[in-house]
Amino acid sequence: MKREIVIDFGGITNDNVEQLRIINSTSLPISYADGFYKDVVKAKNESLNKYAYHNGFVIGSICCRIQDESKIYIMTLGVLPSYRGRNVGTKLVQSVVDYAISEEVRSKGVQEILLHVQIDNEDAIKFYQRLGFEKGEMVENYYKRIDPPHCYILRKKL
Amino acid sequence: MSSKDANPQAGQGILMPKKETDLFRAVVKQYECKQYKKGLKAADTVLKKFPNHGKRDEAINMVKLGLMHDMRSHVCWHVYGLIYRSERNYNEAIKAYKQALRIDKENIQIMKDLALLQIQMRDLAGFAQTQHQILELKPNLKVSWLAFALGKHMKGDGKGAIAIIDTFLSTLENGSVDLQKSYETSELALYKNSIIAENGNWKEALDHLHECKKKDILVDQLSYLKLSGYYQLQLKLYNLAKESFFNLLERGSTEDYSVHTGYMLSILNIDGEVSRTMLKRKGARALSSMLVLSNDQQKTLKEAYQNVLIERFPKSIATKRIMLTLFNVDSEDWNTSVNAYIRASLIRGVPSLGDDLSSFFIIPATSSNKNEYAIAKDAVDVKSHVAYKSIAALVDTVIASLESTSMFPGDDDVQPPSTLLWTWYLRSVLYEKAGDYSNAIAVVDKGLDQTPTGVDLYELKARLLKSAGDINAAVKCVDTGRELDKQDRYINNQTTKYLLQANKEVEALETIALFARHESDPEQNIFDMQVTWYELELAACLARKGYFGKMAVEKHFEDIHEDQFDFHSYCIRKVTLRAYVDVLRWEDSLWGQDTYVKAAEGVIHTYLHLHDNPSEHVNGSEPDYSSMTAAERKKAKAIARKKKLKAEKKAADSAKDEEKEDTKNKNVKQKTKDDDPDGQELLSKPPLEEAKKYASTLVKNAPKCLTTWLCQYDVCSRRGKAMLALQALFRAKSLEDSSGSMDSEVFKRIVDFHLHVKLADGSHTAVEEVFGSEKVNLLGTSSKTLSDFISEWQEKVKASPLCNLSLRVEVAKAMIKCNVGTCSDASNLIVCKGLDIRGVSLQSCLEAINTLKSINGAEKQAQEFAALAKSVYSLSSNF
Repeated sequence: MKREIVIDFGGITNDNVEQLRIINSTSLPISYADGFYKDVVKAKNESLNKYAYHNGFVIGSICCRIQDESKIYIMTLGVLPSYRGRNVGTKLVQSVVDYAISEEVRSKGVQEILLHVQIDNEDAIKFYQRLGFEKGEMVENYYKRIDPPHCYILRKKL
Repeated sequence: MSSKDANPQAGQGILMPKKETDLFRAVVKQYECKQYKKGLKAADTVLKKFPNHGKRDEAINMVKLGLMHDMRSHVCWHVYGLIYRSERNYNEAIKAYKQALRIDKENIQIMKDLALLQIQMRDLAGFAQTQHQILELKPNLKVSWLAFALGKHMKGDGKGAIAIIDTFLSTLENGSVDLQKSYETSELALYKNSIIAENGNWKEALDHLHECKKKDILVDQLSYLKLSGYYQLQLKLYNLAKESFFNLLERGSTEDYSVHTGYMLSILNIDGEVSRTMLKRKGARALSSMLVLSNDQQKTLKEAYQNVLIERFPKSIATKRIMLTLFNVDSEDWNTSVNAYIRASLIRGVPSLGDDLSSFFIIPATSSNKNEYAIAKDAVDVKSHVAYKSIAALVDTVIASLESTSMFPGDDDVQPPSTLLWTWYLRSVLYEKAGDYSNAIAVVDKGLDQTPTGVDLYELKARLLKSAGDINAAVKCVDTGRELDKQDRYINNQTTKYLLQANKEVEALETIALFARHESDPEQNIFDMQVTWYELELAACLARKGYFGKMAVEKHFEDIHEDQFDFHSYCIRKVTLRAYVDVLRWEDSLWGQDTYVKAAEGVIHTYLHLHDNPSEHVNGSEPDYSSMTAAERKKAKAIARKKKLKAEKKAADSAKDEEKEDTKNKNVKQKTKDDDPDGQELLSKPPLEEAKKYASTLVKNAPKCLTTWLCQYDVCSRRGKAMLALQALFRAKSLEDSSGSMDSEVFKRIVDFHLHVKLADGSHTAVEEVFGSEKVNLLGTSSKTLSDFISEWQEKVKASPLCNLSLRVEVAKAMIKCNVGTCSDASNLIVCKGLDIRGVSLQSCLEAINTLKSINGAEKQAQEFAALAKSVYSLSSNF
């Protein structure tokens, strides 16, 4: 039986961005270019890009960006394998949702959160559906180096 | 000083007009404060009118010119002294000041300057005398009294010092601020108290303390209680002492192990020398883990802690920790308590838990005091220690349980993954302490697999890789960890250290520069910050690479010595006399500090190497490392600095204004330039002479350190000073003897001495006689010849199963060299116990293998031994 663990959030900076590489490489099928990491650091927005800490160790992360001024796009979400099944991912997504529905962001006209997910990644689809995301259209040949290359768009209206 | 000569410039002791005199005073003062610009400006004003008055800006020549014009100008002599002082030539400066005072007998400023240098140079009698004069001139100043008292005290005249303090206090009127309760009054009273106690007058000291308490002038309650307890113990007033120490605990000093020690001493009715040594100890070792106790004593303490302290201070970690040391290892109580202690720490995540627990691995001390315990450091002792076995087994059970159920054995709370992580971490450290690096790495790898973002894990793994013999892999590993958290200065320094140990000095400088101040040359910054560990490692690194661009100007030490100046006047003004006396005494032992000894040893070895291989330094001075050696020459000491800073803090409770002064001074301080970045100039000096200088500094300042005498021997034997070499060996042996064993380095030198060192031809017959008989005495009571000596040690080594590997090797070498026993006797001595002996390290194993290889018929043993070493140092490419 696994139980929820206590987590804290923390920002992603130039000094600790290497840890994001580790999280992504253990959790995601594709590897991101240096530009991705540079942008995350440059954004300096702890509400959109953050680590989940447990007892001082980085165990997960979420990175998002604002798209078309009205959407928050989740670029990556990852949790170290040994720490999965303890609601860490849920808390990370929830924290972004909370941010998206805050007065400050709503007033800027942000209306939805969205992301891409590989069509056969059923665990992920179920995970997001539990959090109120809905399956949208399929995008063919979205990924270049992984199979299947197609993905769905998942969105949550705010 | 009045003269009728009308020409002021011609001299004859003529005073300048008042305006100029005042201006000049301002110059001197500004010079003192290092406000050179202002000073220069003012000086120029004076100079316009009195162009022949010498000034510092044109240095000595001008002053000499000034003196030529007016031998009787105290001002010129004073400035002359100031210039010498700025050149750190204090003896000449003192002479000049004294000359100035002869002319102007009542010049307070010069007297103050003189006193400053006298205390700096530890001319204590002179200091006291000068302070006396100042006091006579300025009896209304508190500072004058205190400085005079201090002078007496430092001179060793405690009674005189007390009398002066008393006189000072009696001059005060009723209701004076200096009699009321204040920090200064309290400090002065406690200073007086410390002088009283210095001669062991415990009764008087205690009475005085109580009197002060009655008058209610003490603000430092902690010191009051600590001192009371201390004196009461010495006076065998155990119950009162117990009360004092208990009061301290009640006041919140529950985590101060020395307070616990005092409490335990009171309960056990221990006083005298033992109690004093125990109370002097710093750190987390209380009496119960240091002193060999009888069963009754242990029982008494256990009851006191179980029934009183644990209940009274349930939150105190120190109390719990001490409780653990009162149980017999492996008893049921012990198991229960240690288990609870470890679990709590694992949940919290305490990286140092392994080191903390290793203080349970205590063995009777081998050295000086048989009644004390020492912590087992050698892997072979740890491995076989009952506490180690018990803890390791406990941790293994915890790991098994956490891995399968995420719960502690017999517990139903689910633990987060970090608990398991810290348990693996602890297990790995325990394996490390037992010298089992392969298993240690395997366990820490589990942790890295689970939490690849854990910086601590990379650091531990790097250390293990290094121990297992692969420094390059260690560098890679620690650097990966460093990349994860670039704000972590500790891992950055650790990376730097490993890079240096892997002979990558360029990368090392780049790495450490990340944390240096950016505006200037990082190397300069490192030097300014006195980062001595870096400089020592760098020197060792370059020496390994064969660059002997010479090292170690004791620059930092001079600076630290110099820094005293800041305190001389400040501490007296602020009445922090107790701390000031500590600082003075600490400074006196500066050149005996461990890091200085290490630095000096490095220098001496380098010089001796150059002496033995005179051709090498030509190769060593290639230009391509010119950028590197600058730092190499500046070793010395961070620990010293740290301790000093501690003292500073103590000394300056209200240090803010001092700091301001300090930074002001530092801003003006000129940058030290390295005039000789390649160390060429230093290389050109005769190496043996230079080595001798350092050796004599060590002999003078660190006579209790084995290294000192080994160095002294190495230097003296090369200089043909047979008697001094002999003396050095006696001293080295006397440091070792009490333990009944012998250091392999001493053994090696005794053999070397008997084989190679001869008295100079034509020595006096009396000298020859003494030399001859002492030479035999050096071998000990039971041996008459070198061969006897070697076979005596062969037997001793055989009889002691754990005997140190290095000593085995040295004895074996001596046997071969002097034809004692057979070749196989010698090689057997090395290999007979395998690696289950003390002193096993990568280095000693290599030495053993090389020795075996050189012994006829021991090739097979060499191979077998290498295979054995390979099993421990599995990553080393040496086997």
